[in-house]
Amino acid sequence: MLEIRSARKVFYKGQADEKVALDGLSLRLATGEFGVVIGSNGAGKSSMLNAISGALVLDSGQIVINGDDVTATPVHKRAMRLARVFQDPMRGTAASMTVAENMLLADLRSNKRTLRRGLNATRLASYKERLSLLGLGLENRLDTRVELLSGGQRQSLSLIMAVGGKPELLLLDEHTAALDPRTADIVMRATIRAVEALKLTTLMVTHNMQHAVDFGHKVVMLDAGRVRLEIDGKDKAQTTVPDLIGHFSVKTDRMFLAS
Amino acid sequence: MDIIQNTLSSFVSLVPVTLAQSLILAFVVLGIMIPFRMLSFPDLTSEGAFPLGGCVCGVLMAAGMSPLAAIAIALLAGFLAGCCTAFIHLRFRIHTLLAGILMMTMLYSINLRIMGRSNISVFGAPTVFDWVPGLQPGFPASKIVVAGLIALVVFVLLYHFFRTEKGTAIRAVGANPDMAEAQGINVWMATIGGVGLAGAFSAAGGALMVQSQGFADVNMGLGILINGLAALMIGEAIVGKQSVLRQLAAPFVGAVVYYQLVSLCLAAGMPPPDLKLATGLFVLAMLALPSLKRSRGPAPARETVRE
Repeated sequence: MLEIRSARKVFYKGQADEKVALDGLSLRLATGEFGVVIGSNGAGKSSMLNAISGALVLDSGQIVINGDDVTATPVHKRAMRLARVFQDPMRGTAASMTVAENMLLADLRSNKRTLRRGLNATRLASYKERLSLLGLGLENRLDTRVELLSGGQRQSLSLIMAVGGKPELLLLDEHTAALDPRTADIVMRATIRAVEALKLTTLMVTHNMQHAVDFGHKVVMLDAGRVRLEIDGKDKAQTTVPDLIGHFSVKTDRMFLAS
Repeated sequence: MDIIQNTLSSFVSLVPVTLAQSLILAFVVLGIMIPFRMLSFPDLTSEGAFPLGGCVCGVLMAAGMSPLAAIAIALLAGFLAGCCTAFIHLRFRIHTLLAGILMMTMLYSINLRIMGRSNISVFGAPTVFDWVPGLQPGFPASKIVVAGLIALVVFVLLYHFFRTEKGTAIRAVGANPDMAEAQGINVWMATIGGVGLAGAFSAAGGALMVQSQGFADVNMGLGILINGLAALMIGEAIVGKQSVLRQLAAPFVGAVVYYQLVSLCLAAGMPPPDLKLATGLFVLAMLALPSLKRSRGPAPARETVRE
């Protein structure tokens, strides 16, 4: 379960270009619930994800994960509970390390790292199996440095890394936005498969209105740092792309294209 | 013909001495490689940590301490120096290079304070090089055996360490600090520990050097950094840096080859004062090579370092 309680964050406080990123934002996501976050650029989507992951320190408000207040917990400690897939495939993987080493790093996310051998036979076998689910042939490239993979392969790897170990919370930050349509489709389908199979509590930010309509239990629309609209249950099932776009006060080209 | 013959004969006669020296200085090269390559943290501390190790070792040996204990304490001092550099960078967001310059400048005064004067002679005091059975102490052979053995042990230990769970995490911090943090790795601890370890190796090199040459001098670190960097570049050009094994072998191979090259240049009649210019030009060429190639071929992956 994720709870954001009246989160507030102001950038450049007291200066001429003061910007309120989060303005008393509150959000609740039940265990196993899949929330989709939409909103125009600058609505506070990224700030919200950064606040949840710990990269952004709130001015006030709380972040609660499964009943524990993690507001003051540093990023690397929160990582024990949550996993994140970034928009940029470069950010979520270590380029100069091999596929297997990246998998190992993700594997140890919520464990204590010891002085034992990292990549042992058992682990390699399990990584092979988990990567083969993607159908991209990554299971045969365990010793390849990640920088030699394509963007789509890297992002697929990031996804497998994130869902491994069943995190308490999965954050997807426009994770298919930088990919070509076909690869985006593969990654999105793999995401849905994993989220459903593992019943992960998931928060996905997207600019793709079709994705927002097709996937998830709940759509949350942000505007000016607060929740403007929440659609769930039966209403969510009946929502269409034009409906969602109708809610945008400022319609950008990007949304028209995405619809 | 005569010139070539003279050059060769004086070079060959210098090979054992140079080899002993290069095996000792390989530790400094290792202390430069670990932050630079494993942590993407260009660290200049070694220029101060090397004489720090030497000074600490010299003072302790002059006070009658056993050579091994003197090395151990020098190692600890180097570790602390490295930790300080990393801490200055992390806590105050000061550029890695500037943090290193600050540290090595401050270490110069500290080294003088430790010794109380600019140099100290420990000639005749027992050293770790005396412990080789069957060899006459003080000869290059005993130094080669001792320094080579320590180098081998350190190499094997590091090779295993960087493939453990903790070691992989430290490498991840160098490869992508943001990603490492998101995977639950404490970037502060990894950086401070890693740069500290590097400082410890530089100091160990200094301590061994003092035992080898029989005196400690506050200026013994002058230019060690650029020499070490040149050695690292040569090592990487020979064995590569594609895997942990190669990356770890590079400092040792590089140190051995580099100092033989220097000895060859000196034997060929190159004036010693020109040595730093030649070394500097060589490092510049090695660093510039990728960008010269890039203007023609496809753009290679950019070398990213932390700032």
